[in-house]
Amino acid sequence: MKGQGYDYLVKITAVDYGKSLQAVYFLRNIAENKDETLEIDLEYNDAWLPTAMDIFPAADWYERELMEMFGVAIKNRIAKRILLEKWDGIDPPFRKSFEWDKDYRTGVE
Amino acid sequence: MSTRINIGPVHPSTHGVLRLVVDVDGDTVKNVEPHIGFLHRGVEKLVETRMYMQCPPYMEKLDYVAPLSYDEAYVATVEAALGIEVKERAQYVRLIELELQRIASHLFFLGALCNDMGQMFTMFMWVFEDRDRVLELLQEATGQRMFYVNMRLGGVTMDLPPDFGENCMKLLSHLEKRIGEYQRYLEKNPVFMERTKGIGVLSAEDAKSLGVAGPVLRASGISYDVRKAKPYYVYEKLNFHVAVEHGCDNFARYRIRIMELRESIRLIRDALKKMPDGDALGASIKLIGPPAKNKIVTVSRELPRGECMMYMVSDPQRPYRLSIRSPCFVNLAALNHIAKGERLADLFSIMGSLDLVMACVDR
Repeated sequence: MKGQGYDYLVKITAVDYGKSLQAVYFLRNIAENKDETLEIDLEYNDAWLPTAMDIFPAADWYERELMEMFGVAIKNRIAKRILLEKWDGIDPPFRKSFEWDKDYRTGVE
Repeated sequence: MSTRINIGPVHPSTHGVLRLVVDVDGDTVKNVEPHIGFLHRGVEKLVETRMYMQCPPYMEKLDYVAPLSYDEAYVATVEAALGIEVKERAQYVRLIELELQRIASHLFFLGALCNDMGQMFTMFMWVFEDRDRVLELLQEATGQRMFYVNMRLGGVTMDLPPDFGENCMKLLSHLEKRIGEYQRYLEKNPVFMERTKGIGVLSAEDAKSLGVAGPVLRASGISYDVRKAKPYYVYEKLNFHVAVEHGCDNFARYRIRIMELRESIRLIRDALKKMPDGDALGASIKLIGPPAKNKIVTVSRELPRGECMMYMVSDPQRPYRLSIRSPCFVNLAALNHIAKGERLADLFSIMGSLDLVMACVDR
């Protein structure tokens, strides 16, 4: 994609459709004013993506957000530390399986 | 030998609750790591439990310096999901309010930038006087001073009052004079020039690959403005230019805001002239049918701080998933790259020039 002039990463996000998980990449070709959306279906229980950081450095924080909020493992990169919140990996908060009434506190500060 | 310094979470120059861990060698910044998440409220998750039109107040709290812009971006997303056309007069009313909001926000930026550079509160008080006048005008138009919630599906809650045009024109000519004054004061000020010119350089190439948004992107010489690239409302019919600077430094980022202030004034004048009569009021919530299940809409808006993209998967009752691309989030992510190699004291003027709102970063 980058070879075709799509050199600007707008956002990476994911959607939980209940039984399937979908990652969405938004790319932009600024020179020609074109937008492109890439949708990638992921395994629900064993979700992983290759890192896009070597192509788009902008992917850094978005990938960390995916790891924390959707429990998507990003291969070939190390999450340096928590970006937004401390979640222990069980029931990632933006998945639909997250229960509002459950007490998720684990005693960690 | 490098030393590690912890700045924040609450520090007068961090524009909210932000913690920076800075590695310095002497006075030179080697590495900056922003620790965010102190204001993370999970708005994207929260809206999944609310009905569509219960959400705008949450959106406004994302960016408390320019709440109306987020409100509008969200309502436009819902409108796109429902397939609602905005009434013509309402398009003008929204545009005028959005541009007034942009003026208020950019004036705030000028004050905050000077504060961050140690020119404590002189500029801040000057711009606040003007910003207050803009807010008063918005209060006349919407009934609220801070959090407007003025957007309804297909229109606005309140049409502009009859004397709005006259008051607005008066204010705009006052602002135009003041902006010229600010520019003269600042650009003749050696301290301001020393601390902005050539500081915090972000090349066009890096700006693209780091994905920075809005004024920061345009200050690096890349002319991308959603208002021109994907025109919404009546932006196509009105006269304005996209402000572009090629300096790539703090000064260019300040200059972009000054230019955008002038362009906004021009846009509002033009819009007031061309605004048609008619009905601008939006529909009440009960009249709206539910959108289809799993309909996907993507809406981009140019907020004062940069491009916001809302990606929504719809559901009949409430948003199934709303993902917000926050301009401050990407701009803060680029901070490490911009500040590397600069003096520690300049770190704050760089942060000031990025115009961050932490609530918008953490969502």
